[in-house]
Amino acid sequence: MTSTTMAENTGSAATKVGVATSAAPFRLIRRGLVYLLLSIAAFISVFPFYWMIVGATNLSADVIRGKATLGGALFTNAATFFAQVDAPRIFFNSAFIAVVATALTLVISSLAGYGFEMFRSRVRERIFGLLLLLLSIPFAAMMVPLFVMFSQAKLVNTYVAVILPTVASIFIIFYFRQATKAFPTELRDAAKIDGLKEWQIFVFVYLPVMRSTYAAATIIVFMANWNNYLWPLIVLQTAENKTITLILSALTSAYTPDYGMILFGTVLATLPTLIIFFLLQRRFVEGMLGAVK
Amino acid sequence: MAQARLDRREQVTGWTFVAPALILLGLFMIYPIVWSLWMSFQVGKGMNLSFGGFANIMRLTKDPVFLRALGNTFTFFIVQVPIMIVLALLFAVALNDSTLKFRGLFRTAIFLPCVTSLIAYSTVFKSMFATDGIINEALMAVHLIGAPIGWFSDPFWAKVAIILAITWRWTGYNMIFYLAALQNIDRSIYEAARIDGVPAWARFRYLTIPMLKPVILFTTVISTIGTLQLFDEVYNFTAGNGGPSDSTITLSLYIYNLTFKFMPSFGYSATVSWVIVVVVGILSFMQFLIARDRRRSS
Amino acid sequence: MNRIASRRGRLLGLALAGISFFSVAAASAGEISVWVWDKAFNGDTMREAGALYTADHPDVTFNVDDSASQDDIRAKLQTQLLAGSTDGLPDIVLIQDDIAQKYLQSFPGSFEPLSDSIDMSVFAPYKVAAATYDGKSYSLPFDSGVTGLFYRSDYLEAAGFKAADLKDITWDRLVEIGTEVKAKTGHLLLDLDLNDTGVIRMMMQSAGQWYFNADGSLHVIDNAPLKKALETYAKFYTAGLVKPVSGWAEYTGTFTSGEVAAVPVGVWITATIKANADQSGKWAVAPIPRLDMEGSVNASNQGGSSWYVLSSSDNKAEAIDFLKTVWAGNKDFYQDILIKRGAVGSLLAAREGDAYKASDDFFGGAPVWQDFSTWLSQIPSVDYGTFTAEVDSAVQAQLPGIIAGGDIDAALQAINDQAQQQMQ
Repeated sequence: MTSTTMAENTGSAATKVGVATSAAPFRLIRRGLVYLLLSIAAFISVFPFYWMIVGATNLSADVIRGKATLGGALFTNAATFFAQVDAPRIFFNSAFIAVVATALTLVISSLAGYGFEMFRSRVRERIFGLLLLLLSIPFAAMMVPLFVMFSQAKLVNTYVAVILPTVASIFIIFYFRQATKAFPTELRDAAKIDGLKEWQIFVFVYLPVMRSTYAAATIIVFMANWNNYLWPLIVLQTAENKTITLILSALTSAYTPDYGMILFGTVLATLPTLIIFFLLQRRFVEGMLGAVK
Repeated sequence: MAQARLDRREQVTGWTFVAPALILLGLFMIYPIVWSLWMSFQVGKGMNLSFGGFANIMRLTKDPVFLRALGNTFTFFIVQVPIMIVLALLFAVALNDSTLKFRGLFRTAIFLPCVTSLIAYSTVFKSMFATDGIINEALMAVHLIGAPIGWFSDPFWAKVAIILAITWRWTGYNMIFYLAALQNIDRSIYEAARIDGVPAWARFRYLTIPMLKPVILFTTVISTIGTLQLFDEVYNFTAGNGGPSDSTITLSLYIYNLTFKFMPSFGYSATVSWVIVVVVGILSFMQFLIARDRRRSS
Repeated sequence: MNRIASRRGRLLGLALAGISFFSVAAASAGEISVWVWDKAFNGDTMREAGALYTADHPDVTFNVDDSASQDDIRAKLQTQLLAGSTDGLPDIVLIQDDIAQKYLQSFPGSFEPLSDSIDMSVFAPYKVAAATYDGKSYSLPFDSGVTGLFYRSDYLEAAGFKAADLKDITWDRLVEIGTEVKAKTGHLLLDLDLNDTGVIRMMMQSAGQWYFNADGSLHVIDNAPLKKALETYAKFYTAGLVKPVSGWAEYTGTFTSGEVAAVPVGVWITATIKANADQSGKWAVAPIPRLDMEGSVNASNQGGSSWYVLSSSDNKAEAIDFLKTVWAGNKDFYQDILIKRGAVGSLLAAREGDAYKASDDFFGGAPVWQDFSTWLSQIPSVDYGTFTAEVDSAVQAQLPGIIAGGDIDAALQAINDQAQQQMQ
């Protein structure tokens, strides 16, 4: 595996070569097709978003009829939503759980990814292989024993119970391990010669170099925690502790669901992940770079 | 990667780095998994369990719902994973062209679906796939179909709808991996090939694909696991039924039903969970073998 | 290295302690917590009942939690009972009648027998039967799922049918009527979801049968009402009277938008139908049709739920006294929830109240509540057994074949085989 740095890549990507004029008409058609394909894909990808936003401005009956144009019921829907859902509390729960879980996951899983890659030993390789296999066990299969554990620890209906089982994420450990393969070992060697201890190398050398990997992982982990459904459903008992994902899901299964109001809620619930994505996306594309080398 | 044997101090450091994760995984994963492995040898309902040896495995072979769930899961896996990976590759290659305008816009648009909250996604998709929904109306407007398709009242179309939905949600996610990897490839190789008159498809086939092989392997493993554990879409789109007629029930949904919906039959649901582990184990092993063989031969 | 590791450990410990700080303790004593699944219907109804009790017993307050769907509540209840953990369970939980036996029989001792302290003879017998296990009844019956045929009187009239033409008819007759309505008005008769066996089950119960024998064994292959019900179900499709739908939104959207002419359904749908005020006067309710066979009556049930007190509750005495005082004793309360929430309770004496005697302009000025309470007392009792979900899923698996004209006996055989597997 080469350890080309990102700067070099961007440099070579930016190299432009003159357009071969002989095949110009053919190229033009192909270029047109590429734009068409991408536009269709982009349209299909964005359409449900558009639909969701439009739905949030329409009354439930119009949503059911499939009305696809902006309506005037945005404030009605907002009022219904805020009257029925204790939004500050519920969004606080979601945010608190997602932020704390993301921070802990990044720390614990990146430490492990670094450890597995930098300090290879036969035993740890075996353990890593086993972890990859365990990645495939459906969560539903582990839920009851997990619940027993948390109820014995008197932690049912706490944030801790939601967060703890997610923070050592095999997928993220795997991701960080792959990313670490692109981490230039010369940097670590140089730091060692300078007398830095292993934890100092991790904090002062590895962390800054890998910040784009962290950015990518932040989006993935935040998204997963924000949308987490099954485990919070089982372990959070009282209404005031629930997350927005749980509350929205319950609203959709009311006897007479108010779809305008629900879609207003989903727009709100999608905002945090969208914002994080927009803030971090430039780094995200780079961040994935390391992982897949 | 050949590396010198670690000394004692480094061994200790290595363990220190992985220890927090391993302790947590040991508590919250290994223990439940060992428990579920033990349960898979138990038979009975609710809390009245007794040791049943291989009775649960025998039961699997005679259970029509399990066989349907296994079949559906494989259908989703065999049809959806290649479609998604090919699409993701195409988009990535198209977006990798640095002369393309609006790259950021396209990239963001195509990535958006995987950021959506599950509830938003399923609410919106359910209404789009309704009999009078926008998808049927659009298809009828362009005369692709004469009468509305009953997306979730027809066993075949229900599968198609699920496949469309997962593809919608995860193609952009996979695309980003390829895009990142493509940016890693030295552009001069392409230019050289282009100047030598190698046609585009051949460049794609003989340059891009081989260079992306590790990434394709990575995404395939992740997508395989994801598809074999498929639950969210079928649970939300079919009101937890996996219908019509079990045509969309997956192994994960069946496990959920056996645990929470039916008379709780833990031992048996644990056994079904282990089927996924075994299948993923075999598939991943095969995928790694194929990748290794190719790497050797090339 | 060890020093650092331990410091990291301490930091982690501190961080976790911080999180625990934010967590909220379980319900306090003197507060009765209740799990319900629909804010507007059973949530507000229970809140009102709680307020009535608190007025006389200021030391007892209520915490009614409607933040989970019914499926969610089932999953949570089942996980906790399986884990043998009672923390976080409420004092009172609402359970749908047809799955109650699963909990009562799988988790003996988890629920309080209420028949020891509350006279069950004041409730509709079929509701009490659904929650009776080993000679004791465990529920305080709440909303009845008494069924009716809700129909668009304007469409039916346009096709030449009057209310009397729909009274006490058979399903076969309804198919004939539906065919004529379709020919004359263009409206389909009803909308059906292949993921839902509701209509089949109400047909079967109208003949006093369910999926099981008295000893709990499967009763599918020779179950004449079930066979008849499946044949009738297929008839709707072969006659071209069905708008296929999937999911609750599409199901309710189809009849509230005026697309179909009728909905055979439990009385709890009333609020959903009446939510469309512009359709006032255009709806009517007829008795549910019966199967064209001996023993089937024009009354049945779909859904409906009841209150259960958990044995783990710290407030058992208060919870039971509350149910006894308000839910088993207060007739006026039942008038109130009927008017405000459209909730038809199971207390038989409630029908003597004013609200039950009133007529409803939305349904063309007919005394629909008297009708419903009459039908309520006629619903045949059946034993829902413990495996209804399993057999339902086996029935659903055969529905696409059945509506395509498949052999019903073969389908029954397949249902039997699959259910047999699941019941192991």
